[in-house]
Amino acid sequence: MSILELQNVEKIYGEKANRVNALRDINLLVEEGEFAAIVGTSGSGKSTLLNLIGGLDSPTKGKIFVKNREIGSLSRKELTIFRRRNIGFVFQNYSLMPVLNVYDNVALPVTFDRGRHINRKYIEELLQELGIWDKRRKYPSELSGGQQQRVAIARALVNKPHVLLCDEPTGNLDSATTIEVMGLLKASCRKYGQTILMVTHNEAIAQTCDRVIHIEDGRIVTGKRIYPVKGGDGAC
Amino acid sequence: MLKLAWKYMRYYRSQTLAILVSIFLTASLLSGISSLIYSSQRNDLANHKNIYGDWHYYVETDRELYESVQSGEKGGGYLLERCGKMEIRDVAMEEFLICFIHTDETYRQMAHRDLLEGDLPVKDNEIAADGFVLSNLGFSGNLGDPLRIGDKDYTVTGILRSEWAASTSEMEVFVSDSFAGRGSQTFLYLGFDEDVKLYRQLDSFLQEHGLSSADVVNNEEVTQYLGGEEPAGIYETVRFGLTEEEGNFTYIVLKLQSDYNLAYHGMILLLCLFSIFVVYSVFNISVAKRTSEYGILQTLGVSEGQLCGTLLLELWILFITGYPLGCFLGNGILSLVYRKFSGVFGGRSTVGAAGNGLPAADQTLAEGTGTIRFDLSWDAMIFGFLFLLTALAAAVFLVIRSLKAQSLKKVMSGDTSFTKRRKIYALRPVNMAGVVVRKFMFANKRKVIGILLSLSIGGCIFLCTTYMVENLKIHAELSLKSDDGLGSEYRISLKSNSLNDTIPKAAADKIKNMPETERVYAAKYTLGEVTQIEELEWDSYFDDQNTEDYFAERYGGICLPQADGTYKIKYDVYGYDDELLGQLDEFVLEGTADPETLRAENKIIAVALMDGQGNYYFYGKKPGDTIRVRVPQKDNYTDELLKFQSGSENYIEKEFEIAAIVSRPLAREQGFLQEGSYRDALMTGLIMTNEQMEENFGIIDYSFINASPAEAMDANEVSNRILQVIRDIPKAVLQDYTAAIETQKNYLRQQQIFFSSIAVILLVISLLHIANSMNHTILTRRREYGIIRAMGITDIGFYKMVLQTGILYGVLADVLICLVYNHILRRIMDYYMAHVLQFLHVQTEVPNRILLGIMALNVVIAAAAVMFPARKLMKETIISEIT
Repeated sequence: MSILELQNVEKIYGEKANRVNALRDINLLVEEGEFAAIVGTSGSGKSTLLNLIGGLDSPTKGKIFVKNREIGSLSRKELTIFRRRNIGFVFQNYSLMPVLNVYDNVALPVTFDRGRHINRKYIEELLQELGIWDKRRKYPSELSGGQQQRVAIARALVNKPHVLLCDEPTGNLDSATTIEVMGLLKASCRKYGQTILMVTHNEAIAQTCDRVIHIEDGRIVTGKRIYPVKGGDGAC
Repeated sequence: MLKLAWKYMRYYRSQTLAILVSIFLTASLLSGISSLIYSSQRNDLANHKNIYGDWHYYVETDRELYESVQSGEKGGGYLLERCGKMEIRDVAMEEFLICFIHTDETYRQMAHRDLLEGDLPVKDNEIAADGFVLSNLGFSGNLGDPLRIGDKDYTVTGILRSEWAASTSEMEVFVSDSFAGRGSQTFLYLGFDEDVKLYRQLDSFLQEHGLSSADVVNNEEVTQYLGGEEPAGIYETVRFGLTEEEGNFTYIVLKLQSDYNLAYHGMILLLCLFSIFVVYSVFNISVAKRTSEYGILQTLGVSEGQLCGTLLLELWILFITGYPLGCFLGNGILSLVYRKFSGVFGGRSTVGAAGNGLPAADQTLAEGTGTIRFDLSWDAMIFGFLFLLTALAAAVFLVIRSLKAQSLKKVMSGDTSFTKRRKIYALRPVNMAGVVVRKFMFANKRKVIGILLSLSIGGCIFLCTTYMVENLKIHAELSLKSDDGLGSEYRISLKSNSLNDTIPKAAADKIKNMPETERVYAAKYTLGEVTQIEELEWDSYFDDQNTEDYFAERYGGICLPQADGTYKIKYDVYGYDDELLGQLDEFVLEGTADPETLRAENKIIAVALMDGQGNYYFYGKKPGDTIRVRVPQKDNYTDELLKFQSGSENYIEKEFEIAAIVSRPLAREQGFLQEGSYRDALMTGLIMTNEQMEENFGIIDYSFINASPAEAMDANEVSNRILQVIRDIPKAVLQDYTAAIETQKNYLRQQQIFFSSIAVILLVISLLHIANSMNHTILTRRREYGIIRAMGITDIGFYKMVLQTGILYGVLADVLICLVYNHILRRIMDYYMAHVLQFLHVQTEVPNRILLGIMALNVVIAAAAVMFPARKLMKETIISEIT
C-alpha cells in the first residue's frame, strides 16, 4: 500500500533569465514502511524534492499525495496541522532550539496541538532508545554532533509520524556516528512502522536502504540499480 | 574601502535608511531645540532690555567726564557702543518724589522712553512725561495744558512711553536743556560691545577714566546674559558645592546656570547624548545583521583597520548627508512655530517669578510688545556636528572591538551566552511556545535591558515633561496669585510709604458693592516688628538687607541682634478677609489657615522665609508656638516710628500663637519693605483677619484692594467706575492688569502645548528606535522561528507567540517606567522643581489618563513593533528561514 505518491511534479525557481528547473516531471510511489534513499549530486534537486513532500515548499506543477491526501489542496492551516501530525523532519544542521534543553526540544512539537497530552513515557522511551536520556537536561550547544542529531530524530519521532523525511542527517557526522545514526533510523523505522525518505549524497549510506532513488538535473534517473524492499513485509 | 562602504549602503538599503532617518531626526531635534532655547534666551534678553533698559551699567560722574565721554568711544579693552546721558536738575516732593531730568536721545532710546505724542520740551517751563506719571499728577490729557507741580505751573508738550518699573515712588519728568534747577547730578548709562564679556570692558573703562567700581550700578537683569560679572571657575564651584557646609547640589546647579548658562549648554549636551544613543543603537543593529559577513571578510584577510575605515566611511557619509538636512528641517519647522508660541520663550515670567523684581503681569506686558525673533544656534549645531562626528568614530571603534571578541565560529553557532537552567518545562502541563518566548527574551539579559531601556526612555521623558507641565501650570497660577494679588485684573493701592495713607473703609465697601466688580479683596497693612526671636539658624539670611541703605535709613535695619541674644525683625503685617484667607490653603506648609479659628483664638499665620534653593524656614517655630509682634500706634504716627526705636508708648505689642506657616502671602503691599527694586528682597509677612487688625491694632481702613470685573463687563467701564470711586482718595492709584493676565494665561497655554509637543517628538523618535530594535530582535531569531514553523506551529499560533513577546516587552517596560519614574525621576524632578526652579508646592500628579495612556501605548507599540517583522517572516518560506 503506497503512502506517498508524486504525479508529474515540477518545481521552477526564478523567472526569465534566472529561471531554474529544480525538478521536472517527477513521478514517484513510496510504499508504507519503505526506507528509501534519495541520492544525487549537489544541486540535483534532492532536497527540493524532500521539501515539497514535506509541504515546506509547494510545487510549480503536479500533485503530491501523502496518505492519499493531496497536500496542494490543503489550506495553509490544514497543511501545517497535517504536517505536524503525519510528517517528521530531520535536518542536516539538526535545527534544534538553542534555548531549550534536550527534553523540551523533543516535547516542543507535541505542545503545538492544543490540549494534546504529552506522553512523557514515550519521550523517555525514545530518549532511552536513542541513548540520550542522561543528557535530557543538557542544551544543544553542550552536545556533540551525533548527540544533537539523535535529539533531532527523537523530536521528529515524538508525534509518531507516518513519514520521516531526513535531509542529509549524517552530513555533519563522522563515520562512526553516521553508522550509529543510520542504525537508529532503521530501528525506529522497524519499531514504529514508519516510512523514511532520506536525502544523501553518500552512495555507500544509500546502499544500506531498501531503495535508492537517483536524481540528476531535477529528474529521477531510471537506469540506476534499484534495490527491492528487504524482507518483503515492508519492514526495514 | 569607499567602494565597499558604498556597496554595503546600497545592499542594506533599509538599514542605511534607518541610520539616515535616525541621524536626520536627531539632528532636527538637536538643532531645533538648541535654537529654540537660544532664541528664547535672546528674547528674554530683549524683554529684559525692554523692562530694565537697554544699558549695561550706569555710573555717576563729574560734569567734565559727563561731557567728554561719547558713544562709540573705543579704549584699551572696551568698546562703548552707546553712552546715554541723564542729568537730574531738580526734585519736587509732592505726593510722590518727582525728578526733573534732562536727557540725551541715546538715554531715551536706552531707557525706552520714546516720544509717543507731541514734542520734547524746549523752554524752561515745558515738560514731558509718561502717561502713568501724568495721570497720577492729575493731567487733563490735552497736550499744551498746564500742570502744577509743587508751586509752579508747567506746560506739557509731549507724552513719553512709560517705564516698565512704573511702580516705584519716584517719577520722572523730562525737561529741556534750558530748565534751570536747584542742582545737578550727572549719570552716564553705558552700553558696551555685547560680543565681548562685559565685565572685562567695564574694568578697562573704569581704569581708563579713573573711576571706582563702587560707583557703578549693574543692570543685572540684562548683563546676566552677557557676562556682566566674572564667573567662578567650574572646578571651584563644584568643589565648593561638594565640600563646603553651605554648598550643595542645588548651589552647583544654580551657580553653573548663572555663570555658564547651564540650561542651554546642558540641554545641548543632553540632546547630543540622546542623539548618539539613538544613532548608535540603530547602527549597532545594522552591524549585527552583517557580523558574519565581517567575520568572513576578516578570514579573507581584510584588516581590522580596513574594516573600521569601511564602517566609518559608511557612517560619516550618512552623517554628513543627514545632519545638515536635519538641521535645516528642525530649524525650519521650529522657526515657523516659534512665533505662534511666542509666550513660551519669555518663560521666566512664570518659571522664575520668585526671583524677579517685577510682577509677572508687568513682564508679560513687556513680552507682549516685543517682536519675537528666531535665532539659529550655530554654536549648538557646530558643537553637535563635531561631537557626533567624534562619537560615531568611537562607536565604530567599539563595534570593531566587539567583533574582535567574537570568532567566526562563535558567530555561526548562534547565541549561547544565555543562562542554562536545568529545569525541564515539559514535565508539567505548560505552553511550550510561551516558554520559548520567555527563553528568547531573557536569553541575553544585557540585550533585554537594552530593549527595555529604549522602550522606557520615551515614556519616561513624556511622563517627566507632563509632570513638569502640570506643576508649571499650578505654579504659574499660584505665582500669579501671590505676585500681583490673586491674579486680579485691578489693583487699587496707595503711592505712599506712610501708614497714615489709607483707603477708607467706605470706599472699599463701595467697590465691593459695585455691580461691575466681583471677587473684591480689601487688605489691611501695617509694618511690624517681631521680637524675641531666639533662633536664627540662617544667620546670614538678612545680611544683604541689613546693609541696604534704604532699609537702614528708613527702617533702622531689618534684623537687629539684641543684647540678650535675641533678634528683632521687621515684618509686613496683613489683614485679609475670609475669602482671601481661604485661598491661602494652597500655600500652607504646616498647620491650618481657618479664619474662624484665627478670630476666635486670636492666632496668626506666618510666612516662612525661603532660601535661594527653595527651602523654607521660620526660626524653628511650628504652629502652636508663639511670637511677639510690635506695630506703631496710629495716634501721633510719623515715619520715624517705622524704625521701632521710639518709646514703647508709641507701639502696640501683642503675643500671638501661630496657626499656620505658609510659603507666600497672597495680596501683598508694594511699598514699605517691598518698595521698588526691593520687592521680594524680604519675604517676611504675618497674616491675620481684618477684624483682628482692628481689634489688636485699631486699623480700620485698608491699604490696597484687588478686584476682578464681573462677568461680561466691559473692562474700560469697570476701570472708569473704580477711578470715580478712588478719585478723591489721596495717593490712590489704579493698576489695570486685564490685558496682562489674558496674555499670561495665553502664554501658559502655549507653554503647555509646546512642551507637550516636544515630549511627543521625543516619544516618536524613541518609538522609531523601539520599532527598529524589536524588528532586529525578531529577525535575529528567524532561524529559530523557522524551526518552530517547520515543527508545525500554525500561522495564528505563531502570531500569538510573537505577540506574547511584544506584550511581555510592553508590560515589562511599563513596570520599568513605573519604577524609574516613581522612584528616581520624580524625586529628581521634585528636587529640581522645588529647589532649582523654586516652584510653589510641587504636588500635582501626572493625570491618570496620561499615565494609563502611556502604559497602553507602550504595550500597543511593542506589540505592533513585533507584528511587523512577524508578518515579514510569515511571507518567507520555512526553508529560507532555517537554511
